[in-house]
Amino acid sequence: MNTILAIIKKEFRRFFCDRRMIFTTLLMPGLLIYVVYTAMGAITQSVAEQSPTPVVYVQNMPESLASALESALDVREQTVSDNEAKERIAGGEIDALIIFPENFDDLTVGTDVPEVSIYYNSTETSSATAYSTVSAILQSYEQSIANVFNVNAQQGEIYDLADSRSASMYVLSTVVPMVLIMLMLSGCIAVVLESIAGEKERGTIATLLVTPIKRSHLAIGKILSLSVIAVLSGISSFLGLILSLPNLMSGTGVEFSLAAYGALDYLGLFLVVISTVLVFVSLLAIVSAYAKSTKEANGLIAPVMILAMVCTLCSMFITSPSVGFFFIPVLNSSLCIAALMAGTFVVVPFVITMCVNIVCAALLSVLLGVMFNSEKIMFNR
Amino acid sequence: MQENEILRVEHLTKTFKLPLKQQKLEGGVKIKTAVDDLSFSSFKGEIFGLLGPNGAGKTTTLRILATLIKPDSGDAFIDGVSAVNNPYGVRGKIGFLTSELRLEDFFTPDYLFDFFSELHGVPHDLRNERKRSLFARFGIDKFAEVKLANLSTGMKQKVSIVISIVHDPDFIIFDEPTNGLDVLTAKTVTDYLSELRADGKSIILSTHIFSLAEKLCDRVGVIIDGKLAALDTLSALTAEKNLEDKFFDLYSQAKGERA
Ligand SMILES: Nc1ncnc2c1ncn2[C@@H]1O[C@H](COP(=O)(O)OP(=O)(O)OP(=O)(O)O)[C@@H](O)[C@H]1O
Ligand SMILES: [Mg+2]
Repeated sequence: MNTILAIIKKEFRRFFCDRRMIFTTLLMPGLLIYVVYTAMGAITQSVAEQSPTPVVYVQNMPESLASALESALDVREQTVSDNEAKERIAGGEIDALIIFPENFDDLTVGTDVPEVSIYYNSTETSSATAYSTVSAILQSYEQSIANVFNVNAQQGEIYDLADSRSASMYVLSTVVPMVLIMLMLSGCIAVVLESIAGEKERGTIATLLVTPIKRSHLAIGKILSLSVIAVLSGISSFLGLILSLPNLMSGTGVEFSLAAYGALDYLGLFLVVISTVLVFVSLLAIVSAYAKSTKEANGLIAPVMILAMVCTLCSMFITSPSVGFFFIPVLNSSLCIAALMAGTFVVVPFVITMCVNIVCAALLSVLLGVMFNSEKIMFNR
Repeated sequence: MQENEILRVEHLTKTFKLPLKQQKLEGGVKIKTAVDDLSFSSFKGEIFGLLGPNGAGKTTTLRILATLIKPDSGDAFIDGVSAVNNPYGVRGKIGFLTSELRLEDFFTPDYLFDFFSELHGVPHDLRNERKRSLFARFGIDKFAEVKLANLSTGMKQKVSIVISIVHDPDFIIFDEPTNGLDVLTAKTVTDYLSELRADGKSIILSTHIFSLAEKLCDRVGVIIDGKLAALDTLSALTAEKNLEDKFFDLYSQAKGERA
């Protein structure tokens, strides 16, 4: 017990007395995410604001549509031939050419089906916008003259009953599991590789192995202390993410209200994070202990990263997971985080997740102890 | 077992698998026998020297004694405890120094002394007393709070020596203890080893420096190619000629037998 504490204290001292380490694993991830996401938000917003009204030529503008089209688009006088206009569209100078048949309005009353041509360039953003705007206007006009029934036509009525609270919860439940799990993983990788593969490579772990400490104590001490550091790194990333999300989404009109979550949600999230970090740290510790050098360890963790990525991606598509899924580490965490963020938390899967993760980490740390005992693994340079 | 025997090495054999390319070079030989059926004993209160050329198997033997690696066959008993069957028991009794065991560059000698004392379960007051006297003895007090990364090779070696004996072990295994040390520091180390012997500690050290062995050792085992070529008291070995000449004789004899 004392030796476990001694190992933990040593790892903490190694970490917390090293300003560079604190900066690179605690401050930088959160800061980086905050800055990058805020910048991304600012860019999307300015793009949304700046996008100019598409410039179009309209031939035979029908009276019935004139006001709708002119308010949405910058309708110019066509001074060139049709072919030249098309070239200009292809070149991006003009966004669209819309050709209505003469007396379009008369034709729509009769049984004839008039044809409207819209020439546009799908590779140009504003041209594509022009196209979709015009087709939308035409479609709603077509519906209004056929008028079989109306859908959501009442002005001033709010039909989308989702409040901004659950809208932001929905966004969070799809974004957070993936980002959080990958952030946790990268935090774990940074500390575990350095502390296990690095120590093995430098021969400092061998010095511990000739002292009468139990291998299992060394394994437990390492895994616990590294997990704490990794959790701190994960919290830093998480704060960066949460604080920057409102900025990131500012262009989309979704209001973010973190107040939607109660203390229990945050507690649940925290527990899931801890249990997941334990799994990651012990798994990465095994890989690092096996590797001959930090460099080799870096190569060997690629499959771990891919597996974690697959698990988080899967969780995005599993909308109503069966209990069985919660027996798979990482996937279970991802599903739990999604449920917590979506406000659809259920106790049984959560408890299964915690148990599975903790048992998994315990088994892996036993394995790590066995590996520390193996001369083939510890001295295989 | 003799009355005051502290170390008994019995038919120790250790082989390493050669890398494929090396196997081809050596004409299909798959393994390298680093230690070949080695048997000897050492006694309480003596300094036993393991002497041999580069690659003879000295370090490998000492690593087995220190339970860092396991022999293919045979066993070593330290104070009656088997290195093969009870490595934990052995680790508490020994202090081991070899270049392979490093200390973390980030820490200071002072902290490392405390840390390893804790791993060995040394009580605090005893630890502080030991630290004071050992640091003064080796002049470490002058750089006790400097990170290891910023120490010279010799300073690091001194710290390694001190750290290896934080728990005041009765049996000390030193692999080339004066490697990288200047004559002054080397003398500090050899004087200290003599002192330890006077205190009743038992020491086994490996070296290829004959003058060191002549100055320090009570008994000497010469190993060549993993085999024991001679085992006797220093005075018996150096009865006719000095140790170096004796070694050349043994070496040509060993090589001649094999050829
Ligand atoms: N891990 C290993 N894998 C393969 N061969 C090894 C290994 N360790 C040692 N050897 C081989 O065993 C032999 C003995 O090595 P050892 O380090 O014991 O020699 P030594 O007597 O300490 O030599 P030196 O005086 O140079 O330190 C050498 O031929 C070495 O190449
Ligand atoms: Mg050696």
